[in-house]
Amino acid sequence: MSERTEASAGLTQYSPEGMMPFGPVHPSLKEPEYFKLILEGEKIVQVIPRIGYVHRGIERAAQDRTWVKDIYLFERICGICSFAHSLSFTQGVEALTKFEVPKRAKYIRVLVAELERIHSHLLWLGLVGHWAGFDTLFMWVWKDREHILDLSEAITGNRVHKSYSTFGGVRKDLPDGIADKIRPELKYIEKRATYYAELVRSEETMSVRTKGVGRVTQEKARELCPVGPLLRCTGISRDVRAEDPYAAYDDIVPDVQTRVEGDIASLLDLRIAEVIDSARMASEALDKLPGGAFKAPVTRTIPAGESDFHVEAPRGELFYFVKSSGRSVPDRVKIRTPTMANILTATEMLKGHTLADVPVVLTGMDPCFGCMDRVAVLDTNRSKEYSISGEDLRQLGIDYYRRGNR
Amino acid sequence: MQSDALRDVAARFGGALTETSKVSTISVPPEKVVDACVAVSKLPGLYHLSTITGLDEGEKIVLHYQFWEGVRFVDVKTEVGKSSPKLGSLCAVLPSATLYEAEIQDILGVDFEGNPYRGKKLLLSDDYPAEAPPPLRKEADPAEIRRLMKLE
Amino acid sequence: MGSFRTGLTQWARKRSIWVFHVNAASCNGCDIEILASLTPRYDAERLGVELVPSPRHADVLLVTGTVNPLMRDRLRTIYEQMPEPRHVVAIGACALGGGVMKECYNVGHGIDSVIPVDLYIPGCPPRPEAIIYGILKLVTGKPADPQVETPIAK
Repeated sequence: MSERTEASAGLTQYSPEGMMPFGPVHPSLKEPEYFKLILEGEKIVQVIPRIGYVHRGIERAAQDRTWVKDIYLFERICGICSFAHSLSFTQGVEALTKFEVPKRAKYIRVLVAELERIHSHLLWLGLVGHWAGFDTLFMWVWKDREHILDLSEAITGNRVHKSYSTFGGVRKDLPDGIADKIRPELKYIEKRATYYAELVRSEETMSVRTKGVGRVTQEKARELCPVGPLLRCTGISRDVRAEDPYAAYDDIVPDVQTRVEGDIASLLDLRIAEVIDSARMASEALDKLPGGAFKAPVTRTIPAGESDFHVEAPRGELFYFVKSSGRSVPDRVKIRTPTMANILTATEMLKGHTLADVPVVLTGMDPCFGCMDRVAVLDTNRSKEYSISGEDLRQLGIDYYRRGNR
Repeated sequence: MQSDALRDVAARFGGALTETSKVSTISVPPEKVVDACVAVSKLPGLYHLSTITGLDEGEKIVLHYQFWEGVRFVDVKTEVGKSSPKLGSLCAVLPSATLYEAEIQDILGVDFEGNPYRGKKLLLSDDYPAEAPPPLRKEADPAEIRRLMKLE
Repeated sequence: MGSFRTGLTQWARKRSIWVFHVNAASCNGCDIEILASLTPRYDAERLGVELVPSPRHADVLLVTGTVNPLMRDRLRTIYEQMPEPRHVVAIGACALGGGVMKECYNVGHGIDSVIPVDLYIPGCPPRPEAIIYGILKLVTGKPADPQVETPIAK
């Protein structure tokens, strides 16, 4: 109890006014976010998040646009988990209606959702490699990721914003013969992912920087409520696809991965295992794909009601609250993205570490601030505030570990 | 079993329980919402607070504290008057609520006593115009906000 | 704009375009396509395009995003930190004028309301081929000329 009040007090004690802003280019994120790090000696003792650098006002804009236009709006909350957003919104709205989504559409949704999970995890893996100083991994992984983007383009027409899920099903059917193109690529990805799993375990650059780094305990996880891989790496097995199956996940059941160490190395292992499992699920979706319609007929108006819906986006539980009062535009759509749920846990992971570990730990939580809405440093012992550029922080980490520190 | 436990919580805090196939909602008065949420979070399998959703419903602001149990959601619902939207903060007892409350402070102008971001901004820029209402309130006009922030 | 087209220095500059990338409140879609254009499939690095860690080393600034109030001043500061000759490329529909986020309460009206832009690459997000084509066009052709047709390179 006292630790919690201390934590809350810490946030007011080290107020934003006393900090020197670090700059918009975040040390480890492609996006601008803002974390204030408070150091005592070498160690980080407190982290204060101040987000909002990507805040655009989407929830408000959604109230002025029709239901269908909002699908296109919400998928652009994040370019990496775009399909998860569109899936959660369309299903959340479908829950208010009597639309009967055809079975075929459900299986196609699973296929595309799992392909997205693979692409997102591979993207993350490459970035962790980059920030740990292992650029070769970054290049290799992103080259392999292109195979998945090709599939996405073949199926949906676009690499990034697929605009594929719509009310009642999917926007168009799978092209003929696509299964024969998909299967070899999934096998290729599985082979490469197995190789990468071994690589990050054995390659010293990675293991030294990730084993024991950024550890979070199960008790902390229950207290701070993270979601997704960050939660599962502490040993708590929660996955929306398994607990609350949507689309065709009652038939295509995920093999929910958990680890117990709670550190970045276990996150690496976990996410790569998820890539392999997603490839298996995508393949299963193809095997079990029923015939029939890909979309149900829908009405233009959505009946009044409130709906809570969540999906397992690559980063974790993505939550949508949809309220309709029967008009052509929604009354309220509230979105809670997985990164928002994970920030507090990430700040917890940073405590006790030095600046050298900041890039890898922050990238390790797989932040997606586009989804959610950056490093200033206060050194209390030396009573000075300063800022470090992103690249300097990355280099600091690389040099620190090269000198043999551990 | 869970329904009985929830009904108990509802009764203890002067509220009512309604259930759909997906959501069990406990409506409580605002001064009881912190205790009700703590009681719900102590029930087996209900430690996970998914989020806190705020809505502007004209005269009042409605808040849903949404817990995910596994198959269903448990929603602790309360409302505050728009003219003086004050509530106690959950974050001393359920720290995961911190950022969700801060977001509602920014976009709906609800005041959570005890939240470390109270009086500060989490999402909106520090120079968000004081004369504009919080952006998710019904009376807020995005075009007007853009004009005041010189975004045109 | 003649800076890229005359003299030995300029010949050298054409073959070594150092870019600095800024995400000014973007969804990441454009950003990951920019990064993808530097990875082996598209490999912009063989053309001399290199991502640098600081605006002080950059020739070209790649900007994505809707430039919300929190990012406005930061973007200006970064632009001012770039030594001349400097060029700005706005990438993606949001950077051009807000894109699908246009009229949201926290969104600017395109990058060019904050800093001068030399080249626009539309798309949501633009493909890596389009991004590379755009950067090359900046270096070898007339940038920001709406009359010029810009077919995507094959």
